[in-house]
Amino acid sequence: MDLEDDTTILTTLKSFNSFISRPEHPQRLSEHSAGSGILQSQYKRSMELLEAAERVHSKNRYLQLDQEKKQMELSHKRARFELEKAASDSARDLEHEVDRNQELLTQIKKLEERAEEANKKITEQKEANDALQKNLEGLNKTLEERDDKLGTANQTISSLKDEIRELRQKIQNQDSKISAQTLENQELQEKLDLQQRKYQEVSQLCQSLQAAQSSCSDHIIKIKELERRLVFQEQDFAIVKTVKSEVARVPDLEKELKRLRDDNAYLRESRENCSLLKEEVEGLRKKLERMEKTKEELINIELEKERLTEKLHAWENLGQSTGLNIRSDTISKCVRLNHKEKYLNRHLYNLSNIVRSVERSQSELRAELTQQHSKTLEEQKKREAQDALVRRLQKRVLLLTKERDGMRAILESYDSELAPTEYSPQLSKRLREAEDILQKTQSHNAEMEAQLTKAQEETGTLKLQLQTAELELESLKKQQASATDSNSLLTKEEVTILRQKIEDLERERQRLEEQNNILEMRLERHNLQGDYDPVKTRVLHLKVNPTAIAKQERQQEVEALRQEVTRLRDLVRSLQSGGAVGHSQDDTHNPSFSLSLAPSKEVLDLRKQMESSELRNQRLKEVFQRKIQEFRTVCYVLTGYQIDITTENQYRLTSVYAEHMDDSLLFKKGSNGSMQLMETEFSKTLGEMVALHLHHQKSIPAFLSAVTLDLFSRQTTV
Amino acid sequence: VKKMTSTLKGITLKGSAELVAEFFSFGINSILYQRGIYPPETFTRVTHYDMSLQLTTDPKLKNYLTNVVSQLKEWLFECTVQKLVLVITCLETNEVLERWQFDIECDKSAKESSAPREKSIKTIQDEIRSVIRQITATVTFLPLLETPCAFDLLVYTDKDLVVPDKWEESGPQTIDQSEEVRLRSFTTSIHKVNSMVAYKKTESV
Repeated sequence: MDLEDDTTILTTLKSFNSFISRPEHPQRLSEHSAGSGILQSQYKRSMELLEAAERVHSKNRYLQLDQEKKQMELSHKRARFELEKAASDSARDLEHEVDRNQELLTQIKKLEERAEEANKKITEQKEANDALQKNLEGLNKTLEERDDKLGTANQTISSLKDEIRELRQKIQNQDSKISAQTLENQELQEKLDLQQRKYQEVSQLCQSLQAAQSSCSDHIIKIKELERRLVFQEQDFAIVKTVKSEVARVPDLEKELKRLRDDNAYLRESRENCSLLKEEVEGLRKKLERMEKTKEELINIELEKERLTEKLHAWENLGQSTGLNIRSDTISKCVRLNHKEKYLNRHLYNLSNIVRSVERSQSELRAELTQQHSKTLEEQKKREAQDALVRRLQKRVLLLTKERDGMRAILESYDSELAPTEYSPQLSKRLREAEDILQKTQSHNAEMEAQLTKAQEETGTLKLQLQTAELELESLKKQQASATDSNSLLTKEEVTILRQKIEDLERERQRLEEQNNILEMRLERHNLQGDYDPVKTRVLHLKVNPTAIAKQERQQEVEALRQEVTRLRDLVRSLQSGGAVGHSQDDTHNPSFSLSLAPSKEVLDLRKQMESSELRNQRLKEVFQRKIQEFRTVCYVLTGYQIDITTENQYRLTSVYAEHMDDSLLFKKGSNGSMQLMETEFSKTLGEMVALHLHHQKSIPAFLSAVTLDLFSRQTTV
Repeated sequence: VKKMTSTLKGITLKGSAELVAEFFSFGINSILYQRGIYPPETFTRVTHYDMSLQLTTDPKLKNYLTNVVSQLKEWLFECTVQKLVLVITCLETNEVLERWQFDIECDKSAKESSAPREKSIKTIQDEIRSVIRQITATVTFLPLLETPCAFDLLVYTDKDLVVPDKWEESGPQTIDQSEEVRLRSFTTSIHKVNSMVAYKKTESV
């Protein structure tokens, strides 16, 4: 309401303002046109407006006062509300505070109780405190002790720390040393690297050196080869010289050859003659032997002849005495005996034939016997087998009947049981099972029976064999027995012969085994040596192989050498025929001789040198001989002794004035150079002079001169 | 460098043929070096079978050996070769002085079935190494070859084999009065190689 009043007031104010402003506008417009009337209206209007304004203003004042009053009332009411609220609030607060008071009181009580308790606790705690304090004191003591210990420990710690400091210093020193050494190491490594580089360079130099050395060695090898070739050439030269010397010897050798061949032929002929003669001698010896034998036989025969002649004479005497014609009788007797013999022989022959036939029939009969025995055995066996079959069949029949009875009984039992209860399915099952079992057992049975029959057959055959063997044994025994009756020796002989045969065969077998071993060893050896069986293997090699190439080269070398040799031989021949002639014939001969100019000159020079040196040698020899001869004669003439050297270090002196040719003095030169007189016949005669000059004066010249004077004094002729 | 197939899957007939041919190549080179048939400066050192061996550098000899070994490899694969023989002949007297013989036994059932056999390459190489070491050691008791010598390689094959070009039939070239020594053998489980050496007896004074 107030607000509406306010708005009306405001709207009225606005309209008033607007009204006021309007007339101002039109006032300005219409200032000049209407003057006085307008002013009066305006003044009226303004007066009315002023009154309206005053009225409005008073209304406004009135409204404002109403409003203020209402506001005052409102505010009063509000104040009352508020006061009431405040009162209620304060009542509530009071209540709250009363409650709080009570609570606080209770709390105070509780707190007081707690305080009491706390006091008690405090007292207790004080007691505990006291105890604790005592403990504390104890602990403090211990603490003090520990502090002391700690102090000592601290001292030790300090000392250890000092040590640690020292050690650390040491470590630092060592670290510094290590660093220094690492530095040295690095330096050394750098040096090493340098050295390695140097080493590599050196190795490279070495390799170059080795290459150079290898090239050097190659050169050396080449030099050696050249030297070898030189040597070969010198050898060839030497060979040429030897060939020359040999060629010089050739005619002599040929003569000797001829002589030797003639001697050989002669010797061979003589040998053949010798052999022929030997054969003749042997033949003659054999003849001699035969002749001697024949002689002996002759002698024996002659003796027999004499005996027989004596017998004859005796018989003839007999014949003459008896007066019977014995000859004819004997002849007839002989004839009869011969007839008898023939008859007996025929008889023997027939008997032997009969015996053989009988033996044959016997053996046949025996064979038939054995066959019959075997047949009887077989039939017996068959019978037994059939008896066994019969027994088996009977057993089977019994088993079957038993099974049938059993099955019947079962069936009956089942039938008897079927009536009260129904067991058909089970029965049928059981039946089927029983049938299966039956079949199995029957099959098993059949197998067993088959095995049995097989075993029985085998036993039967074995028995047969046994019996046949026994029969044979018996027959053999009978044969042996019969044979022992008639021909005991023969069987023994046969046995011995058979034994010998066995031994021989065994020996042969061993021999063959040894041969086999030897052959196997030989085979192995041949295999090692490279033999092969041409039927199964073939040996192949490349056509162009090193050996073939080497052989070809060698052949070429050999041919080249042969050509050279022939060439050199021709050279030598030409040289021998005449070196000077060769000079003039150079143009006409082969160009190969043109090469020989140089050697021929050398050869001539060498020949000349040789001749000259030989001449020199000869002359020197003559000169020496002459000089020696002169010297010896002068010595002989001047000293009067001829001095000859008989053997080494022995000198024979013969005097000019010697009485006999054999008178001589022998002097021997000792190892120390002194001369000693040896005993000769002549020296024995000079014993006094020896004693005087040699033993006393010890002078050989004096002795010799004394001897010459003595001989000179003795000589009779001048 | 060996072929990986033969090391991984076991030994096939082809692998075995290659191994045996390789052994012959190195073995022949070793024998030629040890016996001084060719000058030692014509050989160079190589490493194989975990040992150092000598191989020739002479081109003609190399060519000859490769020809023989390649043909031998074929024959090993066909299992038609029975022996390989290295014959050393003296050139002056044309006598055979030494004979190195290698017998080859081939398991022909490996031809039909192509399943590889279980045998490690390492054991085969160890066996080959011991054989070559023994060959080197035999040189100590063999008589010196003082005269110039040449060698030849002979192959003993089945009679029904077709003779290839450049090959011809030859005699066995056995030694007159020989001493034989059996050496070690090795086997790749398909090919077995037995080695032996025969030399002419030296005349004892």
